[in-house]
Amino acid sequence: MSRGKSGTGSVASAVPSETRLAARNLRLAYDKRVVVEDLSIDLPDGGFTIIVGPNACGKSTLLKALSRTLSPQSGAVLLGGKPIDSYRSKAVARELAMLPQSPIAPEAITVRDLVGRGRYPHQGLLQQWSHADEVAVVEALAATGCTELAERYVSELSGGQRQRVWIAMVLAQQADLLLLDEPTTFLDIAHQFEVLELCAELHLQGRTLVAVLHDLNQAARYATNLVVMKAGRIVAEGDPGEILSAELVEEVFGLPCVIIADPVTGTPMVVPQAGRARP
Amino acid sequence: MTGATLTGEVSLAAPRRHRPVLRVGSWLSLPVRPRSLVLGSILILAVLVTGLLTLTLGKLGIALGDLVPTLLGEGEGRDEIVLTAFRGPRLVVGIAAGAALAVSGALFQTVTRNPLGSPDVIGLTAGASAGAAAFGLMWPGILPLPVGALVGAFVAMSLVFFGTGTGFSSPSRMLLIGIGVSAMSLAFVQWVLVRAGREQATVLATYLNGSLAARDWDHAATIWIAIVVLIPCALLLSRRLQLIEMGDEQADALGARSHSARALSIVVAIGLATAAVSVAGPISFIALVAPQIARRISRSAGPNILTSALMGALLLSLADLLTQQLPLPVTLPVGVLTAILGGIYLGYLLIAQWRKGTI
Repeated sequence: MSRGKSGTGSVASAVPSETRLAARNLRLAYDKRVVVEDLSIDLPDGGFTIIVGPNACGKSTLLKALSRTLSPQSGAVLLGGKPIDSYRSKAVARELAMLPQSPIAPEAITVRDLVGRGRYPHQGLLQQWSHADEVAVVEALAATGCTELAERYVSELSGGQRQRVWIAMVLAQQADLLLLDEPTTFLDIAHQFEVLELCAELHLQGRTLVAVLHDLNQAARYATNLVVMKAGRIVAEGDPGEILSAELVEEVFGLPCVIIADPVTGTPMVVPQAGRARP
Repeated sequence: MTGATLTGEVSLAAPRRHRPVLRVGSWLSLPVRPRSLVLGSILILAVLVTGLLTLTLGKLGIALGDLVPTLLGEGEGRDEIVLTAFRGPRLVVGIAAGAALAVSGALFQTVTRNPLGSPDVIGLTAGASAGAAAFGLMWPGILPLPVGALVGAFVAMSLVFFGTGTGFSSPSRMLLIGIGVSAMSLAFVQWVLVRAGREQATVLATYLNGSLAARDWDHAATIWIAIVVLIPCALLLSRRLQLIEMGDEQADALGARSHSARALSIVVAIGLATAAVSVAGPISFIALVAPQIARRISRSAGPNILTSALMGALLLSLADLLTQQLPLPVTLPVGVLTAILGGIYLGYLLIAQWRKGTI
């Protein structure tokens, strides 16, 4: 379906998508600085797509466009086959949840209240706290192991706990599509895997996940669909075991390396050649 | 809504011991914070007590026993005049202006995500002073002083709007340009004062400090209409503002459309602040301090619109009571008092933030 380079030619915006979330011929820019040009992608339903690439390759920018927090200069993001900006913003938020790289925890807010804010797209002026809201928050807290933290202030938590709370907030939104922008940044290695395990579990439960990650080995372990980007383009896309090669890593990151099988999972493992000549 | 829908289904349910929710049938469900309810009641009581003291204390005060007949229009002539011409309008204006300034500050602080965001800091108050100076002293007689202040406030806000290059969407740029506009406005005021004759300058100086002396019922009507219209608008926006606190990107992802929420909030905040400034002069610090105290005592994130409004009403009416009753050789304009108290609070706030390492 979405193997190799997809989306070429200017008529591609007419190409229907087979997936719930897709992008056609995106041109993304901040003011005049173009970051992504003519990019098309289909995010497989029920998959765990992980986007990797060097710094400033446009992967976070792409995620912003997919979550319609950045509007493309041209091209379109399609949700259920229709342009995402043709929906009401709350309707999109019920389908698609996004956790930005550095969300801001308001002063003096408890974990329960923060997670409750994820319910906004389900609420109305008179319906500000329904039973469904309560249930969703309880479930989101339980799914992320945050039940015990519910009455604590977010400012008192450790980095790992805080990240779990943010994921709980996104889960409370009860959207099928979850977009996560570098969810493991600023965490130590144990907490990184804690967050990734949580993502994997959410994926097993049937959600579609799209995440931006830095660590290639973690990406290869968890992704069902790996997207490798360089300079605003998609260089390779597909099953990590099939696409991740030493040539690809050298081409994209400029890092000479060998690829071996991960001794634990059997997925490809990137071992850099740097540093070996040291006595 | 019919009574039938209401009866028997109204409950303060606390599902699983968590947050209490006011539910009416299936069409209304509002979360209730018991702490906010208690606080709100205490603040209302405090405002009422302040009002009572304002009307009864001092040489002109209405004796406590005569107060109820006077309020009902059956009092003595002297008491009636004190109520309807002196202290009544002053009190009513003070309460509403305090509430308006506080809500304006709460909105600015939330949309700029900065505890220092307030009409004082972004140049609105200084712009109003400059307008008052221009139309009071430079070209007297063209416009009444309060209208002049209004014009000044709008000019200052337009400068901020166009100065940032991105309208009101970038909080940090707004604060920076606002500080610049503030400084220019105050320089203009100084220049006008230096040029003016001494007597005129004294009159203007009283206004520029913010004063509730000699208010009338027209002032009261102006500011009350403003708060009755604009505070509900602020309340309607407050849920989207709560999400803006988590960053624009997160707010947008949740469907809160941060840009329009911010722009609307700033319009409402400017409306409230200019209404207050036009009836009471540029009273400083209420807008900065009231929402901060409200947030601290209610221990809740979010703009805390109603708690802020009550806190502002209390602070300003209390400050005005003090200016009337303090045994000083001259009567201070209330703005001087709020500036002194606010300055102390600001110092405390900066030290607290410095200790926490956030500045």
